[in-house]
Amino acid sequence: MTERESWRLPPRAVLLAAVILLLAAEIGGASMARFKLDLARWARGQMLARPAVHGLVGVRDVDERALDEALFRFDTGLRLFHMHAEGMALVVIATTTTAATLARRPGVRRALVGALTLGGVGYPVGYLLWSALIPAWGVERSKTLVEWLIWIPFGGATIVALAGLLAVIAARIAGR
Amino acid sequence: MRRPPLVVVLVAVAVIALGEASGAIIGALRPAVARWAAAQVAARPQAHGFTGSAEYDDEVRDRAVFATEAGLSFLHTHAEGMGLVAFFASTLVASVVAHRRLRALLYGLLTAGALFPVGYLVYAVAVLTRGREDGIALAETWVLTPLGVAAILGLAGLAVSLMWGAPTWPPTPPIRSEAPRHSRGAPRPPNS
Repeated sequence: MTERESWRLPPRAVLLAAVILLLAAEIGGASMARFKLDLARWARGQMLARPAVHGLVGVRDVDERALDEALFRFDTGLRLFHMHAEGMALVVIATTTTAATLARRPGVRRALVGALTLGGVGYPVGYLLWSALIPAWGVERSKTLVEWLIWIPFGGATIVALAGLLAVIAARIAGR
Repeated sequence: MRRPPLVVVLVAVAVIALGEASGAIIGALRPAVARWAAAQVAARPQAHGFTGSAEYDDEVRDRAVFATEAGLSFLHTHAEGMGLVAFFASTLVASVVAHRRLRALLYGLLTAGALFPVGYLVYAVAVLTRGREDGIALAETWVLTPLGVAAILGLAGLAVSLMWGAPTWPPTPPIRSEAPRHSRGAPRPPNS
């Protein structure tokens, strides 16, 4: 078992992307707390302007329930952006550092670092986009769009790259 | 910063990957997972204490399915977090703990602690196969508590090392007055 070797840092652009994501997460969390009422008011106004999208029928009891559900999802999207951006920024730093240190072939190293960075930084943005689209597109339609545009490609890139990184570490343990 | 042993890095990255994968499964296959869980509960009426009363049995089944979904959700969040904790804490151990045996002990504890989220997978499955209360007790007693204690002890050991141990990183530069001084242009001693 080898130890006491040093980590090699990934390219500065990767670290910058991760730090900007952390910053966005912090600002997102702070904004959610500070502008909670303003955000809810804006989203509600947008939803009321598009009654067909949200299935509003003009009956107060029915409409309020639909609006509450959509506002809950809107808030959930913002919270999930905050949490995932915080987590994925750290995942990007940890995993790209591992790839930069342990992947010997430059092509493999570049592919792993690129996929881990793009996937890790892009995935949380999907939650922000989902929240932003809910008032105009509705909960389910915006979710489907974001799933295909962001969550599946970027999340898939991260999972595939992590599998590749595990293979690289296993190969290093096996002495290859 | 120094790198911990490859086995520790492998476990930390594997736990992060488990967190990512479980998140994708929870997100994409939630209805299918709920159906599968309900079928598992229905297949074990004795373990879940079914009475034959549809209303009561439905409530018991719903609670078991909810507990399984909660277990999978905790697996996702804790695996993402504990993988990172193991990664960064073991990097600190590699960098600041001078004694080899203490380092090995802390690596062991942190690696075991990184596996803590696996307890939630056990929790999710055991709730279905053994009944809600027995399943939770099994996961807590045999997996979550020991692995959680290992993580706490590992982090406590690292904290104690940081407080009282002799750091090996960053290297302490020599005090200026003690460092050998040479004037520019003057001949250096042969062994310098």
